Parts: sequence; structure tokens; C-alpha cells
Amino acid sequence: MTSSGHKYPGGGRRPGAEPPLLALDGLGVAIHGKPILKDLSLTLQPSEILAMTGESGSGKSMTALAAMGLLPHSAQITGRISLGDTLLTDLSEPQLCDIRGRQIGMIFQEPMTALNPVQTIGHQVTETILIHRAMTPARAEERARDVLARVGLPPDRFPLTRYPHELSGGQRQRVCIAMAIALRPRLLIADEPTTALDVTTQAQILELIRTLVREENMALLMITHDLAVVSGMADRIAVMKAGEIVEQGPTAQLFAKMRHPYTRALFEASRHRADLHGLTPGAPLLALRDVTRDYPLPKTRLFQPRQNFRAVDGVSFDIREGERVGLVGESGCGKSTLTRAILGLEPVQSGSITLNGAPVYTGGHPNLDVRRQMQVVFQDPYGSFNPRHRVARLITEPFHLLPDPPKGQARDNAISEALTAVGLHPDDAGKYIHAFSGGQRQRIAIARALIIRPRLILFDEAVSALDVRVRAQILDLMADLSRQYGLTYLFISHDLSVVRSITDRVLVMRAGRIVEHGPTDAVFDAPQDPYTRELIRAAPKLPDLKGETDAARPAL
Amino acid sequence: MLRYALKRLASLAVSLLVASLVIFLVVEVAPGDPASYMLGINAQPETVAALRTELGLDVPKYQRYLDWVTGMATGDFGTSYTYRAPVSQMISDRLWVSLPLALYALTLSTLIAFPAGIYAAARRGRLGDMGVMAATQLGVAVPNFWFAMLLVLLFAINLRWFSAGGFPGWDDPLQGIKALTLPAIALALPQAAILARVMRSSLLDILGEDFIRTARAKGLSRRQALWRHGLRNALIPVLTIIGLQFSFLLAGAIIIEQVFFLPGLGRLIFQSITQRDLIVVESVVMLLVFAVIVVNFAVDLAYAAVDPRLRTRS
Amino acid sequence: MNRSLILGLALTLLFVGAALVSFLWTPGDVEAINIASRLQPPNADNLLGTDHFGRDILSMIMVGARTSIAVALVAVGIGMGAGVPLGLTAAARKGGWLDELIMRGNDLIFAFPSLVIAILITAVFGPSALNAIIAIGIFNIPVFARLSRGAALSLWQRDFILAARVAGKSGARISAEHILPNIANLLIVQGTIQFSLGILAEAGLSYVGLGAQPPVPSWGRMLADAQTMVALAPHVAIIPGLAIVGMVLGLNLLGDGLRDALDPRLRILRT
Repeated sequence: MTSSGHKYPGGGRRPGAEPPLLALDGLGVAIHGKPILKDLSLTLQPSEILAMTGESGSGKSMTALAAMGLLPHSAQITGRISLGDTLLTDLSEPQLCDIRGRQIGMIFQEPMTALNPVQTIGHQVTETILIHRAMTPARAEERARDVLARVGLPPDRFPLTRYPHELSGGQRQRVCIAMAIALRPRLLIADEPTTALDVTTQAQILELIRTLVREENMALLMITHDLAVVSGMADRIAVMKAGEIVEQGPTAQLFAKMRHPYTRALFEASRHRADLHGLTPGAPLLALRDVTRDYPLPKTRLFQPRQNFRAVDGVSFDIREGERVGLVGESGCGKSTLTRAILGLEPVQSGSITLNGAPVYTGGHPNLDVRRQMQVVFQDPYGSFNPRHRVARLITEPFHLLPDPPKGQARDNAISEALTAVGLHPDDAGKYIHAFSGGQRQRIAIARALIIRPRLILFDEAVSALDVRVRAQILDLMADLSRQYGLTYLFISHDLSVVRSITDRVLVMRAGRIVEHGPTDAVFDAPQDPYTRELIRAAPKLPDLKGETDAARPAL
Repeated sequence: MLRYALKRLASLAVSLLVASLVIFLVVEVAPGDPASYMLGINAQPETVAALRTELGLDVPKYQRYLDWVTGMATGDFGTSYTYRAPVSQMISDRLWVSLPLALYALTLSTLIAFPAGIYAAARRGRLGDMGVMAATQLGVAVPNFWFAMLLVLLFAINLRWFSAGGFPGWDDPLQGIKALTLPAIALALPQAAILARVMRSSLLDILGEDFIRTARAKGLSRRQALWRHGLRNALIPVLTIIGLQFSFLLAGAIIIEQVFFLPGLGRLIFQSITQRDLIVVESVVMLLVFAVIVVNFAVDLAYAAVDPRLRTRS
Repeated sequence: MNRSLILGLALTLLFVGAALVSFLWTPGDVEAINIASRLQPPNADNLLGTDHFGRDILSMIMVGARTSIAVALVAVGIGMGAGVPLGLTAAARKGGWLDELIMRGNDLIFAFPSLVIAILITAVFGPSALNAIIAIGIFNIPVFARLSRGAALSLWQRDFILAARVAGKSGARISAEHILPNIANLLIVQGTIQFSLGILAEAGLSYVGLGAQPPVPSWGRMLADAQTMVALAPHVAIIPGLAIVGMVLGLNLLGDGLRDALDPRLRILRT
């Protein structure tokens, strides 16, 4: 396997150890002639956990698919992949089918779509077994029940006859794990298995995977962009950049040395904290009093009074002029509903939302006089812009709120100023949105929010879709702008580390209520509410680095 | 499931009611009085009045609508103005030609389209796929009644395998089926072309889904993943098209009957139009609309059978 | 440029061109009856032969193209003109009573195949080319309404629509400014497909006598007239059919080609 003479930097074969379970040897992948992976060499020992990390587009997932033999048809592959003594790259498709599921199991990122919606979970788990003719149908069903119980879905509560849509995201990911390990494969590949999940669910799933791998004596190739997840899980780490492994080695050693500047940059960006200027909060700007928002539930029986789901339940808080406040909570906690209510896009059932004393929603309509003082930046840099308009038209859209919008030279000046403020060039105004990267698009989104000089900007998961290094830059930009323009921020996010890095004060939301609030550091360092404690405990943490003082080291 | 079915049933009832009202109102605005038309210009006013009473035309309009609707619900479609015969009898005689024809065509179309669509999807981009796609592209463009004429020219006139038209009745079921075969093929092939295209593109959509990748990771081959996971999911849009096609097949059957001189609903309706026998037109149209609405109801139920999400949600 | 686009465009332009030329010139007189030279197979004088009245079939095809194209084009116009605003309104008011009303209305029209509508109209007003236009046009309305509603609904989920709402824009304004330009490609492609279906429907209606009436030549009626003569002179039945196939094929290829050129992910509604 190592006859080609490749060296395995960092990792390498331990003397006297058994031969590697998985070995990539000079692996290259090109799609339509465009190289995706370049000369990748890597080994994975039996029952070892290896994490591949890197930013989006670095080729992590492509490596996993190559190991599975599931690359798209258009991909040309060079180099060798071997599993134990078997050279996978030489196998025919039927031979590969025999290996997939039996010797290599795989878990994917998106549990909501990874399961067939029209088949029961029992059927899908037994299929792994039956397709390899490993057991009789009766035995396979028994095994499916066992393995589902093993992943935390006991048959008395989760019978095999359940359909995927009857399960939550975390439960579906458990089903996916059950399918992958049903035949006790030697190697498990997990491609961002918890990225789509809430932080508490993520902690449970990571713990489950870790336990399973240890107890079933499997090797794990884990792919994730999250360095904190990596540091808590992996025996060894390979850092990828643009289709190449730039550095690999045992976890502790790699974090201690960080020989490659890219590794260091990723690490620094992951724990980046924006430089917030000192705060002297002014008068209350945004005030919520006992806000409640109900949604009607579909009736389950014909002659039953209509039931409501209370998405926001008696929420009250103030944000003062100049403050940067975070609102954290997991999916479904009501933070998106609350965001829409604050923007005056939807009415509330009771309570009041006022900006500078004026209600955001009056007489069945949003109050545009108030909206003028408030703007928003959304999560998805790709869905936030009409692809058919140029940047100038995109960022001037909020001018619609002004009774007398600037025209001609004044408009051009406003555009140039907004673009310059977010670090872009005034000439970018004439371009279409597809000419920009994700990070640049978020800058344009901020320019759009900034252009009518609002007092309050809501950031709705505004950096969640960005890679860590870009995220750090955008957070710095936000901090800069708040200082320059005296802006007040409300950050809505599920990501604790982001909220921690850019806010002075934080509100923790759960099931429609604010369960804890206080200065950011106080809440994160000494959470009072049990839910907040659980959240903070569940969040993956970057390792402490030797030689750094406690003061310089963020807790997350 | 029951709730879903009941909800669909309720909307079916409303559709039928509204459709009947629309049909009635449209026919109601027709100029001219059927009684005077039937008796000619020189008829005595008393004779006309008597006929009006006989045909039930002398009561208020809403009363006539109610009579018509309640009558249809109990199987009484009224009396033909021209033949003075019960409309229900006239319709049921013709229905025994048109309905088997439409069902025959639907079966043929599905039997051709499913394998063709699945085959093309499985060999996406290869020669077989391109062949199927070219054939369907042509099939979509062929008017069924012209295709029927070509079939007659080839199989009836030149080869003499089938008769060029007419219908011997169902006394000998084999002869009946034989007489409907060319018409059914003419109806089915253009529809099959559309259905095969829908099947193919629906399957290709599904094959791009995450759960197909999951299935492949479990060790299923491409073919196994397509059959075990792709097909049932791909059926959902295909069912919609089958439902829509039924109405085209019914309408198409009316036209095709003209080519083959079949004594079906088509013949009845065109005769009735020329004779201004509006009660017959009204009833046949209502029947066609009824059939379409019921088939769409059946498609809705089939959705629920295919997709468990509909059974528990909604 | 892809192959279907070029072939489709060529075929379409051939028929549209023939229809336009027929206003100025046709090889023969479509109204001149000449029993002596009836049912002639294609020859030097009559490139596509003559029909049972001795009329030049090529000229009839050219003039018939006018009828087909006019009927189908106006019907698409009716369908788009009424269907798109209805669909956009329904999407902007998703879940509201107006949405419900529009969608139920759509379902209702879908229950009336265009032939049935034509039958109803003919029963009331008597047959004419206008009938065909109205019948096909009415049936096109729910096609465009459903299509534009579906496409608009997924756009309404996008953040750039939310941004426009935050900028205080009304539903109608957002529909016109953000939704319509983004579904224009889809509408053009579907329009081509409905155009081709309109040609087929018009042929069917005039074949059974519910469309254009004599002396206006139409492809469908040429086929109806040819039916009894299939055995004697197959060309009178084959040629008009080929014209229909050519025109419909051309439009379908054009539609597919446009889709591939504009956006291969567009979903076309095919019935």
C-alpha cells in the first residue's frame, strides 16, 4: 500500500501497528477536467477517528464520496484508494455495491432529506441488511429493532412502522446512523453529520457516534467544517484547503503546533471576537411588552375547536440606543417569529412592540415611519437578492420607505458611500449579484440595510452560512459600522459563539419565552437557567492552547 | 386517512354543484326556445305551450335547475326534446362504447409510458434515452384523429386486419374489443408520449434526491435504487398527469368516435347540437365533467396511498 | 444555441412564414373549384396535389396555417393575460380566501376539457372560429394560473422578497417588480408549449366541425373532408396531418430548446 513511496506527513504508520484500514494514495479527482482533489494521501487505522476539516469547497465531501465510490459520473479519478487489502479503485460497480453498506457505512449531512419519505424506517434499516443477503428477513427485522434501540430509538416508542416525517431531525439522523451501522461495517464515514442539527441535538449525536465507534470497534472518517467539533472527537486531523491536505497529525499535536498558516488562520477565525467599542447605552430604542404570537394549528378532528400554537409567549425586553444584543435559541424556539413581528411584517395577538415609542404595526399595516429606522440582514447570501437587478438597484430598495428618496447625484453618492462603508468599491454598483462571493454578498446586504441610515439593524443568522474566515471579517465589519454610525444591533442566531463574539447583552429564548438575559459574558460564564447551562455545555469547544492566558482565551 | 378522504369528498361535492350550475346557466342563455324550434315557425302558440309543459320548460328557472340536478342524482336525466326518449337511456347505451374506449386507451397509454419512461431515465443521456425521447417528441405532436386515419389506412384498408369503423356491440366481447382496438391505440399513443416524458423527468428529479444517495451508500446499485426508492416517489407527479389525461382521453374519445363511426357519446352530442336537443347536451356535458371530477378524486386518494405524509397530515 | 432550438425555430418560422406569405400570394386560388382536376396526387402544377374540389392543397395549407396560428396565439394570449395575474395574486395572498377562490376556480375549469367548453359554446351560439379561440383560451387560463402561482410561491419564500417587504413594498408591487421578471422565462417556455397544444386543439375542434367554418380553410377541416377519400387519394389525408405535426413539433422543440437555453431547471406543465 505504501509501496509508491508516499510519505504520510504527521500521521504515518506507527511501527508494528496493523496495516491501515483505509488508505488514499495520491488520490486526484477532476470534474470536467477541473481538478477538485490533488494528490491526496491519507491513512486511517482500524478503530481510529480521523477528522477532515476545511472550508467549503476544500474537497472534504468529495474525498468521502471518492472513498465510497459514489463520485458523479463526470468525475475522473487518479491514484489509489484501498480498504484493508482491497484496492477499491480497481473494483467493478457490483463489487463496490457489495462493500458499501457492509464494510463501509456512511452518514450524510441533511437528515431531513436523507430518508425516503414513502418508506417506513424499519423498511429502510432492514434494507441495508437484506440487500447484502446477510440475514433472513425475520432476523433482519430483529436486528433492525436492536440497532434502532442502540441509536436511541427503542422499539416501544419508535416502532419500525414509523415514517420519517413523524420524526424530528435528530431522530432521523439516528435512523441514518442505524442504517449505516446495521451490518457493523469496519469503516464509518460521516459527512457533516450534525451541521443541520441544533446544538443540544448535535452534542447527543456526536456522543452517540463516538460511543458506537468505540464499542463496535469501527474506524470513523469524520468530515466537518467545525474545528471545535473536530477537536472534541478526533484522534487525528487532516486540514484541507483547495483540494489538498495542508497539514495532518494527531489532534493534540496539531493544535499545539499548527505548522501551516492556514490551520492557524482557521483556528484564529473560529475563536474570533469582534472588537466592540465601549458601550454607553442611550435611551430605550426598541421596547417589547408582553408580546404574544399564536398560529392556528390544523384541526385534528372535525368538530373540535381550533387550537393555537403559541410561537411567542409573553416576551418583554428593551434594547437601548447603541446596544448590541443577541437573541439565541434553537430552531422552533420562536426567534424567527419574533423577528418578523419586530419588523412589523406580521401582527401580534397581544402586547406591544414599539421603536422609539411608536408601534411597529398599526391599524392592520406595518408602520412605515417606524420601519424607516429599522433594517434587516438575512442569512442566505444567495437568496437575499433578486438575480435580475444590479447592485445599485438592490441596495437602494429601502429608499422606497422614504417620502422623498434621493435622486440623481444624491442617490449615486448614497450608493457609493454605502458600498465603501462595507468595504466594496463604488464601481460594484453596476454589477449583478452573481459576480460576488458569499461574503461579498453579505457585505452588499449590509450596505442595503445601511443606506437609509437606520437606528436599529436586525441580523437574522447573518453570518451562519459563511465560512469561518469570512465570518470573522464580516463580524469585524459589523463592529466597525456600529462604532462609525452609532448603530443598535439585534443579533438573532442559533450559534452561541457568534453571539458571544459580537454582543454586549444576550437573551436566551426557549419555547416562545425568554428564559435568561443579561450581559453576554455573565450569561456565558455563569448561566443561571438550566436550559442556558445545557446549551452552553452542549456547544463544542476549541481546545485550550498552551501559553495563552485565561484572559486572552475565549471560553467558547 | 379518513379525514383526508372526507375532505376531498366534500370538495368533490362542491365542484360538482358549481359545475352543474355553470353548465345550466350557459345552456340557459342559449337563444331560442327548444319547443318552438322543435315545432317549427308555423306552430300554434297553444301547441308550443303544451309542449313546453310536457318538456317541463314552463316552470321558473331555479325550479328547473333543481329538478335537473335532483333528477340526475336519482338517475333521471329528463326527456330528449327530439327523440322524446329518456336521456338516461340514450346516454347509458352510448356510455358502453365511450367509457370502455377511454379506459382501454388509458390502460394502453400507461402500459406503454411506464416502461418507456423508466427505461429512458435509467439510460439517461445514452442512445436508448435519446431514441425514446425522439419518439415521444414526435408522439406529442401527432393529432390523435389524424393518427387514427393513418391506422385505418394501414390496418383496415391496406392490411384488412381490422374493420375501418362501426361497432358490433358487446354480444361478443372479443369482437367488441377488436373494434375498439384501433381507436384505443390512436388515443393512447400520443398520451403515452406525454406520460413517458413526465415519468422520465420525474424519475430523474427523484434520482437527484439525497435519499437515493443514502440508498447507494447502503450498497444498492443504481438500478436497485431506482426501482426501490425512485419509482414510488416519482409516481406522485405522474399520477397528477394521469388524472389530467383522463379528461383529455374522454374528449379525445369523442373526436376519435367520429373517425371510426362509433356509436358513442361523441356521436350523441354532435347530433344533439345540430338538433338543438339542449337537455341531452347539458346532461352529456355534466356526465363528462362528473367523470373528470371523480377521476381527480380517485387520483387524490391514490396520492394518499403513495405518500404517507398525506395520510397523517393535512 | 442547441439543436432543438435551431430545428424548432426553423420549423416554426417555416409555417409562420407560409401563413404570412399567404396574405400576399398563394400558388393557387383556394376558392377556385375545379372538379376536373380533383384528387390529383402531387405534381408539377400542384406541388402537394389537389383535394376533392380540385383546389391546390399547398395553398390550402398556407391559408390554413393562418387560422391555426391565429386561433392558438390568441388563445395563449387569453390564457396568459388572465392566468398570470390570477396566479400571481393567489400567490401573494397565499392561504387567504382570494387564493382559495382562484385555485378552486382553476380546478373547476380543469374539469371542463376544452372540447367540452367548445361543445357548450357551440350548443349556445353555433360553431365558429371564435368558439375555438374562447374554448382553448379558457382552458389555458388555469394552466398559466397554476404555473405562475407555483413558481411565485417558491419565490415568495426567498429572502429577497422579504427584503422588499421590509422596504415597505406592497404585494402587487413585489409581484410586478420581483416575481414577474423571475418567472418570465418559465412563462415564455410554457407559452410555446400551450401554443403547440392550441394548434392541436384547434385542429381537433375544426375536425369535428366546432371550429372555423367554411369557406375559411383550416387544417382540421381539410382532414375531415379527406376522411372519406383516404382509400382513393391518401395524400389528401396525409398532407394536412403532416402540416399539423410539423408545426406542433416545431413549437415543442422550440419550447424545449428555449428552456435549455434559458434555464434547464424550469418545470413545464405538460398535459
